[in-house]
Amino acid sequence: MNAIILSAILGVILMFSGIFVTSKTAIRNIATAGMALLLLVNIAEQGGFHLFNVNTHNMLVFSKFGLLFNSIAFSATLLFFLVSAKDITNVGINAAEYFALIFFISCGIAIVSSFNSLLLLFLGIEIISIPLYILTGSDKRNLKSNEASLKYFLMGSFSTGIMLLGIALVYGAKASFSMEQMHSSINAGRNAWFYAGLLLVLISMLFKVSAAPFHFWTPDVYDGAPTVFTSFMATIVKAGVFIALVRLFDMSFVGSGYDWQLIIAIVTAATLFIGNITAIFQQSVKRMLAYSSIAQAGFMLFGVFSQNDFSREGIILYTLGYSLATIGIFAVLIKMKDYTFEGFNGLARTEPVLAATTTIFLLSLAGIPLTIGFFAKYFMLASAVKSGSHLWLVIFAILCAAISVYYYFRVIQSMYFKTGLAETEPVTPVFRWLLAGMAAAVIILGIFPNLVLQYLYF
Amino acid sequence: MNLFFLQNAVSASSAVNYLPIALQVLCAAGFVALTLGISPFLGPNRKTAEKLETYESGIHSVGNARQPVAIKYFLVAILFVLFDVEVIFFYPYAVNFRELGWNGFLAVLMFVGFFVCGFYYIIKKGALQWED
Repeated sequence: MNAIILSAILGVILMFSGIFVTSKTAIRNIATAGMALLLLVNIAEQGGFHLFNVNTHNMLVFSKFGLLFNSIAFSATLLFFLVSAKDITNVGINAAEYFALIFFISCGIAIVSSFNSLLLLFLGIEIISIPLYILTGSDKRNLKSNEASLKYFLMGSFSTGIMLLGIALVYGAKASFSMEQMHSSINAGRNAWFYAGLLLVLISMLFKVSAAPFHFWTPDVYDGAPTVFTSFMATIVKAGVFIALVRLFDMSFVGSGYDWQLIIAIVTAATLFIGNITAIFQQSVKRMLAYSSIAQAGFMLFGVFSQNDFSREGIILYTLGYSLATIGIFAVLIKMKDYTFEGFNGLARTEPVLAATTTIFLLSLAGIPLTIGFFAKYFMLASAVKSGSHLWLVIFAILCAAISVYYYFRVIQSMYFKTGLAETEPVTPVFRWLLAGMAAAVIILGIFPNLVLQYLYF
Repeated sequence: MNLFFLQNAVSASSAVNYLPIALQVLCAAGFVALTLGISPFLGPNRKTAEKLETYESGIHSVGNARQPVAIKYFLVAILFVLFDVEVIFFYPYAVNFRELGWNGFLAVLMFVGFFVCGFYYIIKKGALQWED
């Protein structure tokens, strides 16, 4: 509860600081301090310290898993602020409002990580989506940004409509929005409604995490949005919706006797295949990262596919690893003058620190051992093996991971083995140190993943 | 005879009970069609050029309709919708005013407080300023 209320209040505070504070540096500092406070308060709640005592009528249930996920999402956002806050304020004139919207999204993420009622799920997803539509179109003079925003808005509202229809059908079957009633035997004759409703909710959620075949909006929106916000959308927001998906599945489909695993297996395979194959043909690194985010979503779907302890650990690690690496790569990408692969030619000579850290992030995304990406993928695949069915999916996923190495290494190849003069915006030493710190975190967590996972259990 | 009195309806799910509504729909549609259809024949019919001109609220139309309109109109419309929705939330509260007691009052006060915050924000941001 701490995080939900505080993030909303911080959002309002930042809205008003847009009126009263004129200095962009001050706004950046307020936002960063606010996010640090939010993280602290959430960690305090993990330790059993509650700032607010609100009776939620069992609509929200705060589990260790959800709170840990919040902490990870907030630390990733804090890192994102530290690395890219300057670029956020440079997007347009409404600097404070961009931060305010990000705080509202954090509120939505805190809701979906602990919802216990379909109503709250809907609210949370909407609180996440609506600020994103605005952030996507925040570069008002840019035609591509406008197009992306409108596309995202139209498609997103349709998928929200589908979700509402699904929730209505579930309500028709179970006469309740509460997740605890999902397995009650009321109206057992209406199980068809129940499954149809859950499938519709599932479709809408798969749309939000850009799983195939609902991924078509992703490349255009990620490409059109200002690069800083693409970084935020592709990492923290996506992971937040995944947590909602895992929670929803855990409490509805599992144990309902319905063969949902086959559906998820097919979606996962399609997502991995389309994401990886299309990423190969991209010329722009930004677009390649958009497709790679689809491919990575395929791996995160394993957390939904096999609901067991391994998958829960896996999705936490995956969120952390994927967010760290992708935020880092995007932070470097923003500094580049040219977003194509050729633009990275010879970066190792002009900016050795940037090139080295980007290499580590890319290795982590590809799942090379000694990086956190390896353990994230390992836990995901191990969970699928443990769940025992559809082993072909695991083999397919490994093949796709091998394909992904090709396009990730293309960037490394450009940076180190091709001659050219990669042009970058001026980079401060603080930025370099931050990137180096993130790269170090990727490696340390890749050797000792238990540093994070222990919080799941005590 | 029972058919035509809604209060005598026995079982709500029977289709027969919707007969009065169907009759009413028929009557309403028939009345509109009849009056619209009959009026050209009854009244005098003098079509002058000025009478056939398009007008809105008694003002003559000037120029083409497809011209850029100040975005302010849109903003005001959106703000209107926002505050309109706020008022709608008051109705259920007004109906349950006594039952909800002080807790309900505090909840509504909080709701209005948030709204005043938003109102202050849009005024400060200059959303209601007409002159640039």
